[in-house]
Amino acid sequence: MAFLEVNGIQKSFGKNEVLKNVGFSMEKGEVLAIIGSSGSGKTTLLRCLNFLERADSGSFSVDGEELFNAEKTYTDKEKREKRLRFGLVFQQFNLFPQYTVLKNVSLARELLETDGKKLAKDEKRRIFKEIEDNSRQLLATVGLAEKAGDYPCNLSGGQQQRVAIARALALSPDILCFDEPTSALDPELTGEVLRVIRELKSTDRTMIVVTHEMNFARGVADKVIFMANGVIEEEGTPDEVFGNPKSPRTKAFLEKSLENI
Amino acid sequence: MSFLEVTAQLANGFLTTLLIFGITLVCSLPLGLLITFGSMSKIPPIKWLVKTFVWIIRGTPLMLQIIIVFYGPGLIFGWDSLPRLAAVLVAFVINYSCYFSEIYRGGIESIPKGQYEAGQVLGMTKKQIFFKIVLFQVIKRIVPPMGNEIITLVKDTSLARVIMVVELVQAAQQIVAQKAIIWPMFYIGAFYLLFSGLLTILLNRVEKKLNYYHS
Repeated sequence: MAFLEVNGIQKSFGKNEVLKNVGFSMEKGEVLAIIGSSGSGKTTLLRCLNFLERADSGSFSVDGEELFNAEKTYTDKEKREKRLRFGLVFQQFNLFPQYTVLKNVSLARELLETDGKKLAKDEKRRIFKEIEDNSRQLLATVGLAEKAGDYPCNLSGGQQQRVAIARALALSPDILCFDEPTSALDPELTGEVLRVIRELKSTDRTMIVVTHEMNFARGVADKVIFMANGVIEEEGTPDEVFGNPKSPRTKAFLEKSLENI
Repeated sequence: MSFLEVTAQLANGFLTTLLIFGITLVCSLPLGLLITFGSMSKIPPIKWLVKTFVWIIRGTPLMLQIIIVFYGPGLIFGWDSLPRLAAVLVAFVINYSCYFSEIYRGGIESIPKGQYEAGQVLGMTKKQIFFKIVLFQVIKRIVPPMGNEIITLVKDTSLARVIMVVELVQAAQQIVAQKAIIWPMFYIGAFYLLFSGLLTILLNRVEKKLNYYHS
């Protein structure tokens, strides 16, 4: 059984069927790139995996454990536990503006490990210290150690997105998802974000990247999925999909994408 | 009547003005948030009940509400009326809670959905998302409109005299009636100006303090 198994995901918004029976799988340590034109369902798929949308039917499992099955209902608490298997980096970063960069990274873990729990002061201080050290380390990983005390509004878009990556890593997700992580960035800033994702790949992090950066998908992904109109039109290695696309739709999409470069 | 005597008598009325102002503010700020939650409730009956209530309160004069709170229970149920000041406070707290609730609602709805989703994917509870992420951003956004409402409250306190509560205007009116001098009536303007001036400075400070980031 593969590390991530996604089966028969179907999702409609009103009468608009956005995902039609989508299924795929990936192995641990792999990078999966999902490409396709706007409205093809890529983002919705990612949002279903992160429990931001509820699929109408289908299921998915990580490491053999079923996380979601449309036939079951889950309490908020169950959902919270399950969604921590995934991390999500948003197109618009969505950093918390009132907190420093460091606090943005550490907040969720602090709440998870201390909020609502009766802890001795020493114990609490020890946990906070450990989380802070870990958060600083993560900031160093994305090359922003010296920005720990700054506020997001004083950072460039590329730096903000790198903070968002560190924030998503803070909870050690099994699979890190990126929803068009560079689409809100000026071209000269996309490089620094893609570099961080590349570095994460070298540490064998399992990642799903929804992207419009074809060169990046080709160069970094182990596997590429091309989506069109809510279905997986084509999937394979980058060489297969980019070098020798079988579906005429894929061919047309790739030709158009390359035209724009 | 000397200037000092008039000042002393007006100061007495001004204390009542301050009392109405202070208690209304302290009670309405949290109560307003509760009404906001009601008007944003996902349970339709609660939502519409609260929205109708807010409509009635915002749609009728505060002066009328004071009169109803004071005379209503006696006329309808034959109960004893509340002490005058208490009736004023009840009317003011209800009225201002409704106005505040709409400002809160505007503030809450202006927070981008992405802030909630970021909290959600980080495994936070709804409560944590509201209190640790959203609330502070809401406060920053609503300080200017709240300031407006708070300054209005300073002057609205003068409506209390409709049921003979001796606040600042009523205190001046008594002097005017008893001593046949008109100037105390103009003099009280200085009290209001001074107080709202102080509040303006205070509100500006709060605004500046919250300006350490922009979103």
